Amino acid sequence: MLSLTVLYDPLCGLCRRVHEWLEEQPKFVPLILVPVKSDEAQRCFPHLDHDPTSNDLTVITNEGAVYFGPKAWLMVLWALCRYREWSYRLASPELLPTTRRVVSLISRHRYQISRIADLAR
Amino acid sequence: MPVEIITYLVYLAISIALTIWVAHTLHQNGRVFLVDVFHGNEPLADSVNHLLVVGFYLINLGYVSLALKLGYNLASAQEGIEALSVKVGMVLLVLGAMHFFNLFIFSRMRRRATLRNAPPPVAPDAFTAVREA
Repeated sequence: MLSLTVLYDPLCGLCRRVHEWLEEQPKFVPLILVPVKSDEAQRCFPHLDHDPTSNDLTVITNEGAVYFGPKAWLMVLWALCRYREWSYRLASPELLPTTRRVVSLISRHRYQISRIADLAR
Repeated sequence: MPVEIITYLVYLAISIALTIWVAHTLHQNGRVFLVDVFHGNEPLADSVNHLLVVGFYLINLGYVSLALKLGYNLASAQEGIEALSVKVGMVLLVLGAMHFFNLFIFSRMRRRATLRNAPPPVAPDAFTAVREA
């Protein structure tokens, strides 16, 4: 795998903060961050259904494998040198249900979280 | 020759011989491991192996030298052998601890190296065509 494209929501403060954090992290696989439904996203992935991408984080490998929601979060962790072990831990059968629940909870309430944490600039 | 001097000399001989033996074992068997960690980069593996062994020698010989002093007089050969066994036992324990510490470092290096080439944790949800930017 050569790179991962991450489709993120540029309207959410939390996502922008995570974006900044991701840029500082050492990586095994480079991450290309592209705003959802942007021209760039449409151009790179012409056959992808772009509607669900604004609800859930989406990660696409340079080979075209698509990951949504919790799986996308796990793929982002997997790309980071410091957190690759955690991606396996969180993807284990024992922890995966909790991972899914927590990730979708954060995802659904990301605007509220941004507002409370004062990240919605 | 006084019993103390004989005890010291025997202590030094045994400790140094043991240190050399353990370092030699580490050097020989650690190499295969390091070559695997560094993906067949043998010069790098040899270099790291050598550096580890140098550290091993320094710590162990340092300990052997610091622990030499007995601090009391020996009345008989029996006391000499007893003092010797305590000293050599300590050296063996330190050598053992150092050896396991080295193994720990080797296995951690190896785990890091395997992590770099590990596959994704989950299977993809779908596939799509990618147009190069």
